[in-house]
Amino acid sequence: MNRAAGLARYSLWQFRDFAVDRGLSILVIGFLWGYALIEPIRHVVGPQVAGSASPLWVVAVQVSSAVVSVAVLVALNGIVSADRKAGYYRFLFSKPVNPVLFYAQLFFVYMVGVIAAMFLLSSLLHKMLPTFSIPHFLLYTALVYIAMGGIGFFLSVTTRYDWLSLAAVWLGARVLRGIYGAGSDWRSKLVEILPPVHRLDDVATSLIGTGSAHMADVLWLFGYGALFFALGLAALRWGSLAD
Amino acid sequence: MAKLPESGDTDGRTAALVIEFRNVGKTYKSLLGNSVKAVEEFSLVVGEGEILGIAGPNGAGKTTLIAMMLGYLRPTTGTVEINGVPARQYVERHGIGYLSELIAINPKWRAETALVRFATLAGIAQSEIPRRVDYVVDLLGLAEHRDKKVKALSKGNLQRLGLAQALLRDEQILVLDEPTHGLDPVWTQRFRDIVQELRRPDRMILIASHNLDELQRLADRVAIIDRGRLQRVVSTSYENTGDGSTAQPVATRFRLTLASGHELIRAVFPQAEDAGRGEYDVTVNSLPELNGALADLIGKGALVASVVPERSVLEQQFREAVGESQ
Repeated sequence: MNRAAGLARYSLWQFRDFAVDRGLSILVIGFLWGYALIEPIRHVVGPQVAGSASPLWVVAVQVSSAVVSVAVLVALNGIVSADRKAGYYRFLFSKPVNPVLFYAQLFFVYMVGVIAAMFLLSSLLHKMLPTFSIPHFLLYTALVYIAMGGIGFFLSVTTRYDWLSLAAVWLGARVLRGIYGAGSDWRSKLVEILPPVHRLDDVATSLIGTGSAHMADVLWLFGYGALFFALGLAALRWGSLAD
Repeated sequence: MAKLPESGDTDGRTAALVIEFRNVGKTYKSLLGNSVKAVEEFSLVVGEGEILGIAGPNGAGKTTLIAMMLGYLRPTTGTVEINGVPARQYVERHGIGYLSELIAINPKWRAETALVRFATLAGIAQSEIPRRVDYVVDLLGLAEHRDKKVKALSKGNLQRLGLAQALLRDEQILVLDEPTHGLDPVWTQRFRDIVQELRRPDRMILIASHNLDELQRLADRVAIIDRGRLQRVVSTSYENTGDGSTAQPVATRFRLTLASGHELIRAVFPQAEDAGRGEYDVTVNSLPELNGALADLIGKGALVASVVPERSVLEQQFREAVGESQ
C-alpha cells in the first residue's frame, strides 16, 4: 500500500468535485457578468476595441479582475469547514491520511480548477478583445488565488463562516485602508497589517496589461497569502478536527 | 462468510497491538467561559484479540472518547496512545476501520462511488479496488443499492454503507459506534455474525452501544462509563479472567421453560414459581447448583426447552454502576 499514491490519486476526485460543485458556477457567473458589462460597450465602441486606452479595455480589466476575486471566493468557500460542519471528516480521516496534506492538496487542486475556469473565460474575452493576454490574466489569477485564497484557507480552518469572514476581511481591508491608509496616526499603522488589497488594482492593471508589475507589490500580496496558508496548515496540524 | 481478501496493507505492523487511555479528560469550553467536562480521568488499556464494549447512557462521553481515540479531538488532559504513539499519528500511518454513530457521507455521491473514493484515499492499489468494493458490497447486501445516491438510501442501508467503508481495508483496529442503529432484526443478527467472523488474535474491536444484550453477546469486556468517568469494567465471561475487570457474577434467578415433565419441577425446585405457559421462575445460589438441579430434572425425564437469566447480568451491572455514579 502506498498512502502518498492514494492521496495523489484522490486528487482526481477532488478536481471532479471542484468542476461539478464550483467550476460550473464560476463559469456561469463569470460569463454572465462579463457579457453583461463588456458586450454593450463593445457594441458601441465597435472597431476601436483593440486599443488598450479604449473604454472597453478599462472595463475588461476591471471586470476580469473582479471575476477572479469572486472565483476565488467561490472556490475557497467551505474548503475545510464544510467537511467539519457536515461531519465528513470522520470517514475521510479514519483512513491512513494526513489531513494537512489532504487539504494542502485540495487547495492546489482548486487553484488548478480556478485557473482552468479563468482560461476558458479569458479565451472568450480574447476573441472579443484580441489585445487581452490570456497568459498575463492567468498569472494575475494565480497571484490572487494565493493572496486571497491563503487568507480564505486560514479562515476556513479556524471558523465555520469562512466565505463571510473572507468577504468581510477582503472588503473591510479595502475600506479601512481607503479611510486610514494615508494618515500617520495609530490607526493608519494598524491598517498596515491588513491584507494589501489596495495594491490589487495597480497590480491588476499592470499584470493583465503588460505581464509585469511592481515586484514589491507582488511579493507583498503573495507573501501575505502564503503566510496565512501556512498558518492554516499549522492550525490544522495542532488543532482538533472535530472542534 | 467469505474471508476478506488479503490486501497486504498492514504497513509492516508487527508489534502487539495496544490502546492505552491514560488519565484522559476532555473539557469543552464555550466562548462565554462555561465549561462542560465530557470525559474525566479515564484510564483503560485494551489489548489485541479483544472485543471491548463501551456502554453508557446518553451523554456519558462514549463518542467523545472515540473521537479522542481517532485523534479528531485533543484531550484536555492525559494521553491516548496506540502502540506507544499518539493516536492521531497511528491513524495517519495505519488507519482504523471506523463506523461513526452519525453516518456522514456526501449525499450526492453514489454508494459504489463513495466506496471507491474511500478505497482510493485509503491507499488501496487501483487494481485491487474493484475486488475490495465488490467484497464489502456483497458482504453487506448492498448490490441492489450500489448505483443509488447516498441521499436515496434508507437509514438501514446507509448504516450498512457506513460499515462497508469501515471494512474496505484489512484493519487491525475496528471502532464501531452504535453499529446496529437503524438495522432491522435480520441485519442486526447478520452484523453480529460479521463481528464474530472479524474476531482475530491480532485485531481489536471496540463497540460502543446502548444495546447491552448486543454487548453481552459480542464483547469480552464491557467498560461502563457515565458522566465521563469509567465506572467499572465488566467481563462478559463467567470465568475470572484475572485482567482486573469485574468477573461476571452469576445470575441467581432464571426462567426455566419445560417442554414436558411439568409434574417433576417441584421435586427439584421446591420454590419454583409458575409463570404460566410451561415456564417457571427458579432461584439458585450458584452455577453448580443450577447445573446439578437441571441434571436431576432431566434425569427424572423432564425435557428442558430453555434456561434464561431473568435479567441480563450486564444489565444488572450497568444499573448498579450508573446508579452509583448519580
